[in-house]
Amino acid sequence: MPSLTNGNGSRPLYWRSEEQLKDSDRFRHWLDHEFPEVEEEANGDNPLKSSVSRRSFLGVMGASMALAGFTGCRKPVEKIVPYVTDPEYRVQGVPRFFATAQPRGTAPLSILVETHQGRPTKVEGNELHPSSGGGVDSFGLASVLDLYDPDRSKYPTQRGARRSMDEFIEFWRELHTGFIETGGEGLAILSETFASPSLWRLREKMRRDLPNARWVAYEPVNTENRDRGLERATGKKVQPVYRYDRAEVVVSIDNDFILSEPDAVRHNGEFGRGRKLTGPDDSMNRLYVVESAMSVTGGKADHRLRLQSHQIGAFLISLTIELEKQGLTIPGSGVIAGRAGEKFETEFAGAIAEDLYRHRGKALVTVGLRQPPAVHALALAINTALGNNGRTVLYREYEDTLPSSLDDLKTLAEDMRGGKVNTLVVFGGDPVYNAPADVRFAPAFAKVENRIHFGGLVNATARASHWHVSRSHFMEAWGDVRATNGILSIIQPQIAPLYDTRGDVEFANLIITGLDTSSYELVRETWFDSLLHGDKERSWQIALHDGLLESSRDNEGGPVVVDGGEVAFLLRHTSLHAQPITDGSYEVVFIPSGTVHDGRYANNAWLVELPDPVTKNTWGNTAVMSTKTAEKLGVGSGDVVAIELNGRTVQLPAYVQPGHADQSITIELGWGQSELGRVAKDSIGVDVYPLRTSETMGFARGATVARTGGYVDLPNTQDHGAMEGRAIVREATMETYKHDTKFAQHMVHVPNLDSLWKEHTYQEGYQWGMAIDLNACTNCNACVTACQSENNIPVVGKDRVRVGREMHWMRMDRYYVGDVEEARVANQPMMCQHCEMAPCEQVCPVNATVHDSEGLNVMTYNRCIGTRYCSNNCPYKVRRFNFFNFTNEFPDSVKMAQNPDVTVRSRGVMEKCTFCLQRINLAKQKAKAEGRTVEDGDFQTACQQACPPNAIVFGNINDPNSEVSKLRKNTRAYGVLEEFNTRPRVLYLAGVLNPNPKLKPVAVEVEPHGTGHGGGHGENGHSGGLDTGHAEPTDAHGDAGH
Amino acid sequence: MSATTSTSTSATVQKWKPPKLVLGNPSFHDVTDQISGIVERRDTPIWWWVALGISVSMAGAFFIQMAWLFWTGVGIWGNNVPVGWGWPIVNFVFWVGIGHAGTLISAVLFLLRQKWRTSINRFAEAMTIFAVICAGIFPGIHVGRIWVAYWMFPIPNQMAMWPNFRSALMWDVFAVGTYFTASLLFWYTGLVPDWATLRDRAKGWPKKIYGFLALGWRSGNSQWKHYEAAYLLLAGIATPLVLSVHSVVSTDFATSMVFGWHTTIFPPYFVAGAIFSGFGMVMTLGILARLVYPPVKNYITVKTLELMAKVIMLTGMMVGYAYSMEMFIAWYSGNGYEQFVFLNRAFGPYAWAYWIMVSCNVIIPQLFWFKKLRTSIPVLFVASIFVNIGMWFERFVIVLTLHRDFLPSSWDMFKPTAFDIGFLVGSFGLFFTLFLLFLRFVPMVAMAEVKGVMPEADPHHESYHHATEKEA
Repeated sequence: MPSLTNGNGSRPLYWRSEEQLKDSDRFRHWLDHEFPEVEEEANGDNPLKSSVSRRSFLGVMGASMALAGFTGCRKPVEKIVPYVTDPEYRVQGVPRFFATAQPRGTAPLSILVETHQGRPTKVEGNELHPSSGGGVDSFGLASVLDLYDPDRSKYPTQRGARRSMDEFIEFWRELHTGFIETGGEGLAILSETFASPSLWRLREKMRRDLPNARWVAYEPVNTENRDRGLERATGKKVQPVYRYDRAEVVVSIDNDFILSEPDAVRHNGEFGRGRKLTGPDDSMNRLYVVESAMSVTGGKADHRLRLQSHQIGAFLISLTIELEKQGLTIPGSGVIAGRAGEKFETEFAGAIAEDLYRHRGKALVTVGLRQPPAVHALALAINTALGNNGRTVLYREYEDTLPSSLDDLKTLAEDMRGGKVNTLVVFGGDPVYNAPADVRFAPAFAKVENRIHFGGLVNATARASHWHVSRSHFMEAWGDVRATNGILSIIQPQIAPLYDTRGDVEFANLIITGLDTSSYELVRETWFDSLLHGDKERSWQIALHDGLLESSRDNEGGPVVVDGGEVAFLLRHTSLHAQPITDGSYEVVFIPSGTVHDGRYANNAWLVELPDPVTKNTWGNTAVMSTKTAEKLGVGSGDVVAIELNGRTVQLPAYVQPGHADQSITIELGWGQSELGRVAKDSIGVDVYPLRTSETMGFARGATVARTGGYVDLPNTQDHGAMEGRAIVREATMETYKHDTKFAQHMVHVPNLDSLWKEHTYQEGYQWGMAIDLNACTNCNACVTACQSENNIPVVGKDRVRVGREMHWMRMDRYYVGDVEEARVANQPMMCQHCEMAPCEQVCPVNATVHDSEGLNVMTYNRCIGTRYCSNNCPYKVRRFNFFNFTNEFPDSVKMAQNPDVTVRSRGVMEKCTFCLQRINLAKQKAKAEGRTVEDGDFQTACQQACPPNAIVFGNINDPNSEVSKLRKNTRAYGVLEEFNTRPRVLYLAGVLNPNPKLKPVAVEVEPHGTGHGGGHGENGHSGGLDTGHAEPTDAHGDAGH
Repeated sequence: MSATTSTSTSATVQKWKPPKLVLGNPSFHDVTDQISGIVERRDTPIWWWVALGISVSMAGAFFIQMAWLFWTGVGIWGNNVPVGWGWPIVNFVFWVGIGHAGTLISAVLFLLRQKWRTSINRFAEAMTIFAVICAGIFPGIHVGRIWVAYWMFPIPNQMAMWPNFRSALMWDVFAVGTYFTASLLFWYTGLVPDWATLRDRAKGWPKKIYGFLALGWRSGNSQWKHYEAAYLLLAGIATPLVLSVHSVVSTDFATSMVFGWHTTIFPPYFVAGAIFSGFGMVMTLGILARLVYPPVKNYITVKTLELMAKVIMLTGMMVGYAYSMEMFIAWYSGNGYEQFVFLNRAFGPYAWAYWIMVSCNVIIPQLFWFKKLRTSIPVLFVASIFVNIGMWFERFVIVLTLHRDFLPSSWDMFKPTAFDIGFLVGSFGLFFTLFLLFLRFVPMVAMAEVKGVMPEADPHHESYHHATEKEA
């Protein structure tokens, strides 16, 4: 900046300081960087401790808000800045919820965002939208943390140097002018998969205005196998819309539909709710899973068959043969007849076939995305033959959706190498990191003249690009999405962009038109032009409010016609192996991470520290293998193995997984991006994309695996997987349940136990309690993240997880049941049980943890001195201790994600689940103001709200009509460790397994006494506690006696 | 074990000789010279400076680590969930246990007229006080918020807060506090005549200091009368404390619902263990004192050490009985959780600690069945060290019971950090610093009392002996 000089350019006429007068360097620096200390802070490159102090951060934020008014001079004002004068309806301190949607490739998720004074703090499910059904998953919940990620791209960069957005726009316009002349010759956009009418509209516009340009999509975890299979078999580009709620028998062929496949939240909810039982006469669905690694879905199976991934397709052929034996004609199965020699696991397949046949039209065969197209096509044929097509699975043509295409990516890479692409815009994603190894994307990318990357984080692609353009979080810009079932939602910003960024729609428009139009205008244009009808403004407002466009509900898909010949064609040209690997080589299976997915969440601390639902590992990936394989390799969990595949090697620690297929190694994608940010840097994960080729996106054969001798101390949150014969997770089969509805209470003898003290009677007012249906709970982890988000629970880092100091108030306990090889998973959400006779309360020397008049075990942080005696005496070990000042370690921007209604805990105090006391109190205040009492539905705890299958129910036990009261009277209700007189306020509804009687019986940890044969347990074993109305023992003994 | 029984088996009263509690036939003056000489000598021995240097460095490291602890948080230790208490509490119970011998020797043996106690009671009491100081530091600093640790005390305050009297930690505060106060008073009362002796021998400014400390003691008859009464009373008051302190400390564990802690055997078992470890430490220190101050050999005789060895053997067997009874009750209870805990102690991941404990506490003391071994100074010294190692591990085993409790999902291992080790070492530094200062500046043998058990104090004809009659 030139100094303000007089006409002849020598000395200033007016000067602000002596320095200016002297025109010193310091003053020049000051002029160029008007707020140097702020700039330094904002760029703060000390990764672990942000140098931004709270005070200065708030100062900058305040100044930015104040300056926000001036932005009107440059661009149209969109009123999403915080209010200066409060509107009448807005109450300070009461959070507001706005509907929006999280874009997620083909299957976006509709959500509500809780905002406090214009600051988004938490994500909740949107009950009105089927993609959520009221539930949400960890990815959705943690997205709010991404918004405040201190490592986010805050401004565009050119070869690493800071630039303003205007500078990029200027740069692009220059290029764009050239493209207009050539019709976009040499321009390519490589985006992530999207399902968005506005982006689709812009893509169409590009095809008109820049016909020589191309826009392709690539996702490392994609639907391509399925899409190709279905397109071949139906002749249309369709995607399935599964309706697990209509399915009574579900056969999952390597499909982890509960957690990692598209639309998992909806599937999770529909499936889980289908397992709820009101009584022994009620029915529930039955789930068969065939898979290699133990997935969340596999853990929930009534029958699980572990096969190497490459055998799974062959198993479906086996199943087809068995189904035909039932008299079914399956399109395209003619080709199978010749392959009858491949049939295997016939007993299992036969039982499933019979079951499926019996449940024609109410069954569902689903195939996971890893399996080749032929398997998907065959499943479609089977579903069609069973009459499921159009009932339990609908098909819908892709609309406004650009699915991932490997062929396009390959062509693009080829053209990049051939110099046919001079400008590549990488629109989100990180192909340099995650493209298949054989595409050799990175060297091809390096040949491109203009490399532009658009993204929220500086990832590998951003580093390899000339320009990196900072991307707005979806909560900062307008957008829209179309769900798998066709429902349209508007992405509604929750906060003005925190940094110099552009939203997806804005960026697409800029690239295509060269104009920096606001996303609001662009999205409204799309919607008002073609999507809204009638009173458009009103429809728009309603769609904003509800989170979906009601009129888009009517076409959720229907049946498709299958061309048997094409199915046969696919089967004929796919080699499916019935035989397991015998030559000593290994199969490698690539699965998306249950926590960081394909790597996009690798810098999200909540997700990185979220224990994997099955392995319970955090902060990285492992080579997951069966006990037998581990034995053979001579390794245990943590021993580093080298996996060599096609000449490429990765080394990562082993993890021994009961129930895993032998001779198969499962590795999670998405880790090892140490340069992504401070969280990713701390991860112990390893990038395994180098092993993955376009031919082996799902799994590969022929790997060699060897022990290296290294060892990694895995940050695992659950060391011990056996239940030790203790009746903790109580389960029984449907048969046992029908025979003995109180089986759960017959597993443990609860004597009549008294209190030393005078007990509170809770005759009036509220008495809170919870019921968790273990049958509906699917172990999806959503509650854990929801709790973390709601209650400001700190992330502690891998080293502290290693020593057992993770802070999650809520955890998912995972136990293995039965034989190690064929283990089953029994899981249990565990949090403070708010015991009526709380052991923690007795031992606290300073009365810091006490009972309140509504039955809650409350923790007074201010009074706690941190003796940790309460934690020692807690039999559930749900108390968490602030060994250090964890909260203080948060970068300042992350503090913005905190819930202002929940106290932030300092070092040295104990904390634990409060049953979301802040929500209870808000509901009580509201009810009191309305002159009534709190009823069901007034509020939900964070875990309850997030839970897709509604397994968690919370409410007032004093109200006999509340759902929780009814559930607690359910015969399956039991309290964990209730035999020790803790009287927990959380009751679990014991799990019921629904095995096929034709198959070998499933293992349960503890059998109920009294009903078993030869049960020597007398009546005195069932006299007390919850089990007062017990009358069965005599009958049971009658059985046993004869 | 009476000092007389070993000799009174001889045939006739005429042949009976008073037990030789002091060797070398020193006169009263010799006693005064020998004991006071240690305090009065100007040329502080080199070994003392070396030992003090090491101890002070360790103690200094202790306090520096403590400063770091206060600055950062208790996370510097290996504690976690489920093992909320780690080494700090192990060290606390260990030191409290050590502190038991002092009161036992001074009070209980005094009431039981065990005259052999006089040679060791002074430094045993000193050891008690220093051990309790070390012990008292740990519960104070192990809390998460050290700056409000005083909330444990029932101090009326404007916050209207009151401690929870149902909590055993609360009882601990009182038990240890009372014990420390009683021990200190008892120790000091016994010191008063000896301070006066030093005062009478000193010149210049030390005379003033000793004079101040002697509280005007003139060795008058009425003073002796009051002194004896006060000493007896204090012994009477202190005696129940021997039982109460460690019983109450054991309730920290026994009143919880953690299996392996929740047992009624804990109070007596803890008391026996405390006496066991206390005697072990007295023996270690006594042997060291003999080594560095040869005149002390006249007072801390092999006979005294032998008697202590017998106490160690007895209490060691009591502890061993407790170990086996815990196992038996766990089996007999039929409670799977409890059975698991004890099997896990013996065969789980910390089995090594359990077997160290059993070897040191149950097997090593069995050596003392042999007179040759229990009168061999090297054997006694090594054995006493093992006793203390064993008793530290006993507390480690007990506290580490936490690592596998009710829900297997929360089971986790405990790994000590460098700070855990540093604090233990540091507490030894503090203990030895205080003890070295004591050796140098305080008469380490109770001169007045020793004189009372010497033949000169009992000027009768050899064939007639009041004391013997009383004891017989």
